[in-house]
Amino acid sequence: MYQLNKVDKKFPGVHALKAVDFKIGRGEIVGLVGENGAGKSTLMKVIYGAYQPDGGTITIDGKPVRFQNPRQAMDHGIGMVFQEQSLITNLTVMENIFLGFEKQFVRFGVINWAAMAEAARHQLRKVKLAIDPATVTSKLSFAQRQLVELAKVLTLEERIEGDLVILLDEPTSVLAKEEVELLFSLVRELTSRASFIFVSHRMDEVLELSDRIYVMKDGEVVDVVTHDEANIDAIQHKMVGRDVDKQYYREQKQRPYDQSRSLVRFDRVSLAGKYSEISFDLHPGEVLCLVGTEGSGREAILRTIFGLEKPSTGRVEVKGKPFDRANAQEAVARGVGYVPRERKVEGIVNGMNVYENMTLSQMGNYASNGVLRIAEEKALAEDWIKRLSIKTPDVYKDCGGLSGGNQQKVVLAKWRSGGSDIFLLDHPTRGLDIGAKEDVYDMIREMCDDGAGIVLVADTLEEAIGLSHTILVLKDGEFQKRFDGSPGDKPSLYDLVHHMI
Amino acid sequence: MSLEKLKPYFPWITLAALVLVVGAINPSFLNPASLVQLVADIVPLFIMALGMTFAIYIGGIDLSMQQVANLVTVVATVYLVQYGIFVSLLCIGAGFAIGAISGWITTRQFVPSFVATLAMGFIALSGARFLSGERALSMNAEARDASFGWMFGNTAGVPHELVIAGILLAIAWFLQTRTTFGRALKAVGAGELAAVASGLKVDKIKILAFALSGTFAAIAGLMFSVKLSGGDANLANGFLILAIVAVLVGGTPLTGGVGGVINTLVGTLIVVVIRSAMVYLDVDATMQQMIFGVILIVAIAMTIDRSKMRIVK
Repeated sequence: MYQLNKVDKKFPGVHALKAVDFKIGRGEIVGLVGENGAGKSTLMKVIYGAYQPDGGTITIDGKPVRFQNPRQAMDHGIGMVFQEQSLITNLTVMENIFLGFEKQFVRFGVINWAAMAEAARHQLRKVKLAIDPATVTSKLSFAQRQLVELAKVLTLEERIEGDLVILLDEPTSVLAKEEVELLFSLVRELTSRASFIFVSHRMDEVLELSDRIYVMKDGEVVDVVTHDEANIDAIQHKMVGRDVDKQYYREQKQRPYDQSRSLVRFDRVSLAGKYSEISFDLHPGEVLCLVGTEGSGREAILRTIFGLEKPSTGRVEVKGKPFDRANAQEAVARGVGYVPRERKVEGIVNGMNVYENMTLSQMGNYASNGVLRIAEEKALAEDWIKRLSIKTPDVYKDCGGLSGGNQQKVVLAKWRSGGSDIFLLDHPTRGLDIGAKEDVYDMIREMCDDGAGIVLVADTLEEAIGLSHTILVLKDGEFQKRFDGSPGDKPSLYDLVHHMI
Repeated sequence: MSLEKLKPYFPWITLAALVLVVGAINPSFLNPASLVQLVADIVPLFIMALGMTFAIYIGGIDLSMQQVANLVTVVATVYLVQYGIFVSLLCIGAGFAIGAISGWITTRQFVPSFVATLAMGFIALSGARFLSGERALSMNAEARDASFGWMFGNTAGVPHELVIAGILLAIAWFLQTRTTFGRALKAVGAGELAAVASGLKVDKIKILAFALSGTFAAIAGLMFSVKLSGGDANLANGFLILAIVAVLVGGTPLTGGVGGVINTLVGTLIVVVIRSAMVYLDVDATMQQMIFGVILIVAIAMTIDRSKMRIVK
């Protein structure tokens, strides 16, 4: 009934969707898998009307449709349950459920709250959530919020005649095992009325729930498999275009680290509201990976080491010296380099060229009495462009115009050329294509060989396992378990997930 | 050549087109001697616009400049006899301090720069009123000529005011393009978060940028005061909007990070040409502010980088 035919979408420098064919039948649950950057989110956005395709057609029951915005898509029965929760936390549950659709409860310009509460209770019953609709959303657990999101989308049932298509974007990422089960049984029940598109990184869940699975890679649908034919290994193979093996994460290049010295030491460090009682040592040549869900305290620990957050209690040492009155300047001076997750906003300065970006953290090394030695800056940039094979026409190119992988190389070159030996990598491969990811993995191994210590927050669990010497699992800001990740003796996905949620 | 590539040259094209149009309407406009005089007359405005460039380049704005200049005209007039040429240090110091305080309020108290500088402007205005006793003061002519007579005059047909403007422009340009400070300004304007994540002392850089705009406002006020041989709490009124227009039409957007002091030179010339065109076309003096108001809005709307401004309040 709902169908995409040869849908194309281009962004400057990226061909995000290449002639994608996609269809979903009445009451069907369709899985959508692919690596980060494969085009899943773009496809979802086209489906729920946030993006308009550049080519191809969308049809519902054979009739072509074109959505200018998500509201129009909703009017055709297409709803989205967002991964990054779209609920406004200071509103009540019922206000959230009917946000933008309050008109039905308005009498003489005033909202009839009792009627809205009754209607909201009806929606909440659909998702088997027994809470007072007047509860303020911030008081709910993540699992409850996820169900409220679903209830919100299910208001389409009453509003729209005909079939519904509901998109679920990573709905299970913050849920515990039993909650996932509950969600799945709910989804199965609701197929009497709606079809579902299910996007998840957790392959086993996709396999369990979906009738058919679309596999995406580099903006294309590379395979469609039915539930009965599905096989995790085969799908993963298709997703990355090769076997996901040790080669991919450069495990053969992983060498033991130097246990005798400590670059960063955390001794029972706490930061109010973010994490508590965290202790670890980072050694030269070590990749230490912090694993946990969003909000588990991973990022806050990175920001503490970079001096952007001040711990409330505990002792932080960087290279054997206390790091008490620390700020970012002090961190940089001690050799800490930070590769932030928001590459385009925090990593590079969009609007400055390659050499300006590379020396930004170390201008003092390229200046005499505050006057820049620009020729030396350019020479440095040319050197690192060669060393890391950065694809740029010249050193004058605005970094905002480089591809994601090359931007990331510029950020890494900035810190490496400045002599940093403690690297904080926050999702360093997010949104990169596979070739660029492998370049980053190579660089991580290279930096370790040079005696640098790396604190990593990885993009996927596979990446975390593949790259790290040591894994610390965090949950709600508390330390859960430490895993050793020597080659050949790496923990499994299940081991980690078990402690994460 | 695409429109996007042409964009940096818009100010130059605008300037050339305006000069040609005004020249066609009134050929005497193009007389070199009168052109030089025209440009020399707006040197105080240009200096103020130069200072404004630093504030806008980092994505802020300095609305106190006109009042700082007002205050300085009074300070210069009152203390000239007492301190002679060293009154200039007093004036520049005052401008630097007021700017630095605005910067401190913005960075450390998280008050947006337009409010912080607006408030500091009123404080400066009060100071000027108090010091002048709300009267228009005139300078001691003898002391003026002895200390600052060199500012006005000609050497080989070049007005000294233009030389001063040229030197200040060269200094500002050097600061912007050749120093770590200038590079840091650009980084803060183009991507403040990335500047923080690179370990730059962003607060200090911003405070210095506002201190510089205050300093330039003070220099502009001093020149103005000497030129008109007096001081008054309202002497520089009307300059603020022209300085902002000059920076923006020159191609430094309110969002910061691109443009710079050379753009401001072009922008100031555009403002001058428009102003003289209005004189030639007999536009009523009361209308001129309105026209610059409209130009200001158009210039902001055309130059602003919307990708940096998701929410406008």
